[in-house]
Amino acid sequence: MYRGDGYEFVELRAYVPGDDVRRIDWAATARAGELQTRVVLEDVALTLAVLIDDSASMQVGRSRTLLTAAEEAATAWFGTARGGDRLLRVGSDHAGPPHVPVATAFEMRRALETARAALRRGTALLAIGDWYELDDRYDDLLANLGAWCDCTAMIARDPWYDGLPVGGIVRFAGAEGGMLRAFVGARERAAFAAAVRAREDVLAQRFARAGWRSGILHESDGVASLRAVFGVPA
Amino acid sequence: MTFDAPWVLAVGAVVAIGLTWIYRLAENRIGAQALRYSNVAFLASAIHPRPWLTRILNAGWIVALCAVVVGLAGPHLRLPVPVANGNVFICIDTSGSMASTDVSPTRAAASQAAARAFVEDAPAGIKIGLITFSGNAELIAPLNANKDTTLAAIDQIPSPNGATAIGDALRLAATQFPPAGHNVVVLITDGVNNTGVDPQEMAEYFGAHHVPIYTIGIGTPNGDIIGGEESTIDEHALESYAEVSGGAYARAENAAQLRDALARLGRETTIEHRPVAAGFGFVVAGAGLLVVTMLSGLYVGRFP
Repeated sequence: MYRGDGYEFVELRAYVPGDDVRRIDWAATARAGELQTRVVLEDVALTLAVLIDDSASMQVGRSRTLLTAAEEAATAWFGTARGGDRLLRVGSDHAGPPHVPVATAFEMRRALETARAALRRGTALLAIGDWYELDDRYDDLLANLGAWCDCTAMIARDPWYDGLPVGGIVRFAGAEGGMLRAFVGARERAAFAAAVRAREDVLAQRFARAGWRSGILHESDGVASLRAVFGVPA
Repeated sequence: MTFDAPWVLAVGAVVAIGLTWIYRLAENRIGAQALRYSNVAFLASAIHPRPWLTRILNAGWIVALCAVVVGLAGPHLRLPVPVANGNVFICIDTSGSMASTDVSPTRAAASQAAARAFVEDAPAGIKIGLITFSGNAELIAPLNANKDTTLAAIDQIPSPNGATAIGDALRLAATQFPPAGHNVVVLITDGVNNTGVDPQEMAEYFGAHHVPIYTIGIGTPNGDIIGGEESTIDEHALESYAEVSGGAYARAENAAQLRDALARLGRETTIEHRPVAAGFGFVVAGAGLLVVTMLSGLYVGRFP
């Protein structure tokens, strides 16, 4: 069961644009001084949606790609569906559940905007990516989507989170283009490790502010990563 | 700078272009093996690359290779070197007027100190002799390359006393110079020749034998009164001795000026600019830098 258009009352909460006006509890509104919506359990079906960043930056990894782990998590996510639940994939064309096309090349903002426009209210959305492009300009969109759907973000952990495996003057090839030739010593390795950790923290805080739950996608095991996000034991 | 084999430079340029081309090819191959990373922009902002490291290595390679190529081309540099077979006679006036105190502490003591500095600063290999003169000329130290000997002789310069026999001193120097060599006379005096050989004749003799006389007149413009007589400089005569012999005249009114004048003379008379073969130095320096750059490259994980 999922919060939606059913009859079993769950809670009162502040009105969010897009709420069915028929669900506004006018008595509670009068007491609270602002619009209050009655949240009821959906007794029809659950919509499970997945949004995966399948751009080139997710196609890196130490022993296998982050995208492989993301697909594992998505499969497990859809695996939780019960009879009658609907499955939806937001993103580029993909075999499997019906999908909402975004663009030929994955673009996070367009994907999120598409999800906001296409997903029905209350959809359980699992969004997986490396979220490099996510900055404060996304806050409103994330908050809006977070209020509209039950959103979960999985942050792909940097393959070299535990340390850059190189030293000396090293050439780096960007998965999405660009080259960098740089000297990597102890100072650079320490700076990199700190930056990677700080980035994860900032992303987690950003998702939390927007009303999302978030967790880490480990390259080694997408299913275990998904379980960890929801606190489900193996 | 001149070169024995300038064509080597052209060959070196061609080789350098070839090496650069090969290096680029190798770099592209290595580039294909670069570590793949999801987001280079993030990586760059995270590690704050130090591009000067690679630039220093590149500069090291270029400078080292250029030095080797230039060295192989046989360069000759015009460098200051000690005069070959250089002989300098310092002729110091010890007449009574040298006791004047218008130059502190006395003209004689200032001359002695300046001569000492001249000897100490002279490059190794230059032979220096010392002649003093008053009523007659005396050889205090024959020409020799041992500075200690000459410095010890300077300490034996007699006290000021007597007349001024400039010509006798010049004649004594003329008898002491070897027939061949880069011979120079440095004359320090405060007075007018008043006995012995005519110095003008000796100056003409030296001029004919290409031995320049550098004259230094010591004393203030007002001079001093010694023994009831005014001690002045015959600048006109000193300029004439210098001119006819191919030397130069300088006036020293105090100890510092005297010291400076002698130091300048020291550079002019004992140092000359000659083309010196520098190929070996260039090759050694270039090879050394090449090794250092190579080891540095290995150390920071890049070869080359």
